[in-house]
Amino acid sequence: MEIVVCVKPVPEAETRLRVGADGTGFDTEGVKFVLAGYDESAVEQALLLKEANPGSRVHVVSAGPSPRADEVLRASIALGCDVATHVDLPTTGASTDPVAVARALAVAVAAAPHDLVICGKQAGDDEAGLVAAALGELLGVPDFGYVVDLRYDAARKLLTFERSAEGGQELWEAPLPCVIGLQQAWNDPRTAKLPAILKSRKAPIAKVAPGAGGTTPSSRPEKFELPPPRLGAKLIEFKTPQEAAQKLVRILREEAKVFP
Amino acid sequence: MTPNVLVFGELQDGHVVPASLEAIGVARTLAGASDQLVGFVAGARGESAAADFARFGIGRVLVADDPRLDSAPVGAVAHAVAAAARTSNARLVVAGGTTVGRDLVGRLAVRWEAAASTGVTEAAPVDGGVRVRRSVFGGRATETRRLDGERVALALRPHAFPAPTEAAVPLSAEKVATADIPAALFAPKRTGVKAPDRGAGPSLTDAAIIVSGGRGVRGPNEFRLVEDLAASLGAAVGASRAVTDAGWRPTSFQVGQTGKAVSPQLYVAVGISGAIQHIVGMVSSRVIVAINSDASAPIFKVADYGIVGDLFEIVPALTAEVRRVRGV
Repeated sequence: MEIVVCVKPVPEAETRLRVGADGTGFDTEGVKFVLAGYDESAVEQALLLKEANPGSRVHVVSAGPSPRADEVLRASIALGCDVATHVDLPTTGASTDPVAVARALAVAVAAAPHDLVICGKQAGDDEAGLVAAALGELLGVPDFGYVVDLRYDAARKLLTFERSAEGGQELWEAPLPCVIGLQQAWNDPRTAKLPAILKSRKAPIAKVAPGAGGTTPSSRPEKFELPPPRLGAKLIEFKTPQEAAQKLVRILREEAKVFP
Repeated sequence: MTPNVLVFGELQDGHVVPASLEAIGVARTLAGASDQLVGFVAGARGESAAADFARFGIGRVLVADDPRLDSAPVGAVAHAVAAAARTSNARLVVAGGTTVGRDLVGRLAVRWEAAASTGVTEAAPVDGGVRVRRSVFGGRATETRRLDGERVALALRPHAFPAPTEAAVPLSAEKVATADIPAALFAPKRTGVKAPDRGAGPSLTDAAIIVSGGRGVRGPNEFRLVEDLAASLGAAVGASRAVTDAGWRPTSFQVGQTGKAVSPQLYVAVGISGAIQHIVGMVSSRVIVAINSDASAPIFKVADYGIVGDLFEIVPALTAEVRRVRGV
């Protein structure tokens, strides 16, 4: 099976967000970029499928600015992905529009074998969650978002998975090719070993141009705002647990008005 | 022909879901004076569900009454929506904040060549497009985004907009052809639906109130204290990663970076220290209450109200007090 994983570099979770100089995005100065949380899971899922289906190959693709895209591609190779492709996008413009990013990714995905494409269901920065669906349409294949418990039934040549929908967990069977927006999260995805990390630094990364679609954003961020800082909890003083409970319930009803 | 605004009606049990109805108000805000609102429904019960739109003031409804669309992948549905958008000369499609709504908009961005955005909490018309606001970075920031072009597709954030008020108009349903949807888009089959793996009460992502427990709760049996408090409030039950890693509750309960991101009206954190992993998943809640015996726990920095005390005393007292005032 030819598996493609699409990954996006995002600021690591501990980053203290600041507004950038032009006010339209966050300040990237000194920010460490890592694999987006669900993308890290997508890589793990791809590697699990590869291990369960001998002869499979995992191709990792990222569309975004250098050097952060190269860094997450090398991190993916260190984890066990076989080949990597980078679609270079500028830091502003196309890379800030999820649809343009999907179009750029599609150029690289379509040019190589792709039975199964796995994306994280959304990235932790813009949280748009548009790429898997747009990519499905661009490749002319079905896509599924919010997928967990993804398996491949080699005998029947079918993907089987669950999709977390409002009405419950939907069970699906889908032939390949197909695009998956993965919601599954492993709390302990594999970590790269030092020799693999060192080797990944020299791994070749194919460079692909984004094509016309990938360079024309149809939306652009105008303003990036941080909420006023939380001042810290107002602590409730009490002598008995009952007093604490009464005071809190009164505050929640009368001051915060969160329940009747 | 006048440009129109199409509202995507997602069905459950033969009716348009509340999330789709929230899209009606947004569509009205974005429609120009001469624009007409048009509804869209699909599936075997589409025709009868079209009446739900008429009840809320949308008389013209396009119906793709193809039973295959009842359980089709979103790609097939998007094909029909794009056809309806072209038939009705729409320049804007608005979908509710559901899993289908969001995927639909991603497909439409390509199929209908539209500018697209999801998780929209505010939307206003601007010259040549639409300006939206949306929450990013797990609620740690907000962006204002401009969508340009002749066609725009939006999926809203759930609960961000009010349900419309009833204003019945006569229904005029029109059929949309579905014969040209490629067979490959119907190839995947839905083989069943399982009830969600959660306790009693609403789901984490839908709930107005969430009560979550952490390591401080000490064990799977003691976790019932958290669930009792949630039950008294009609709340969903959440958990920190420590709880799900320890197997006290399934991973579907987990709130945080690798679990669910939530933004209820009220979030009560019980025995949760407040690791950044957890904070990023709940910090955009409107009101946060923390109950923890350690006054230096980082959770008190993001909470609005705090009780420093023994949760095994405080939580039962709180459950009793909530039951008393709510009469449950």
